[in-house]
Amino acid sequence: MLNSFGHVSLEHYLVLSAILFTIGMLGVLLRKNVLVMLMGIELMLNAVNLSFVAFSHFTGNINGQIMVFFVMTVAAAEAGVGLALAVTIFKKFKEVNIKFFENLKG
Amino acid sequence: MLTSGLLFYILAAAIVLFAIAVVMSSNPIYSALYLALTMVTLAFMFFMLNAPFIAGVQLIVYAGAVVVLFTMVMMLFDLKKEQEAFARGKFTGFIKIASAGWLCGLIAGAVYMSSEMIVSGSKAVSENTATTKNLAIELFTNYILAFEALGILLLLIAVGAVSISRIKGGTHA
Repeated sequence: MLNSFGHVSLEHYLVLSAILFTIGMLGVLLRKNVLVMLMGIELMLNAVNLSFVAFSHFTGNINGQIMVFFVMTVAAAEAGVGLALAVTIFKKFKEVNIKFFENLKG
Repeated sequence: MLTSGLLFYILAAAIVLFAIAVVMSSNPIYSALYLALTMVTLAFMFFMLNAPFIAGVQLIVYAGAVVVLFTMVMMLFDLKKEQEAFARGKFTGFIKIASAGWLCGLIAGAVYMSSEMIVSGSKAVSENTATTKNLAIELFTNYILAFEALGILLLLIAVGAVSISRIKGGTHA
């Protein structure tokens, strides 16, 4: 009954986390919209959170979940600043494209 | 045990599909909604991993705050149909996808090779250590300095976000 299909180990969660991180990285690399790039960063941070929680569960150590709090707070702060930058870039160029970031000074 | 394995595979497939949809949809508002779905599914997975408080925080912070922030900023913009959603260049695109796949394969291979080393069969998953009370005790005793530093960081971010979005161009406005 406990075959390889029914048994979920730590490696399953780690591989899922790696796949999610890769998808987020592709979102940052391939897209030109600043908002979608920020969403890719959020996906990467969530992949890290998943591996933290999985380690915390499978080792019985609670410190991983504490670290997830910090990652979440920093992610929310990063989204706030990134969206403020996107608002600035839209006010000047009427488009949210990453190629306009080099013109953003002063 | 079989049902938990089945549930894991269903949730994993949903997470991967929604994440791919975030990256691939050319309309950013669809991306934001798929991001919300990804976060909700990840919260279910955290719940499966005996972290109910983290799951609730994930729902509140990500699906409730961050994605709503994204959608509100998008409503602020006048989004037309995107002309060039993806970066140009077939060759560089291929290199990007190949390197990302290579990274994923490297991580998965490392996990597979070191599967005896990491947590070698410590099935003593203590059910009682991960309660919310223990989480709070740990957070407010050992990590109190980092907690206060996060408060200062959030204050800085609030001031900084307001001052960035008021830039008008030219010298310091």
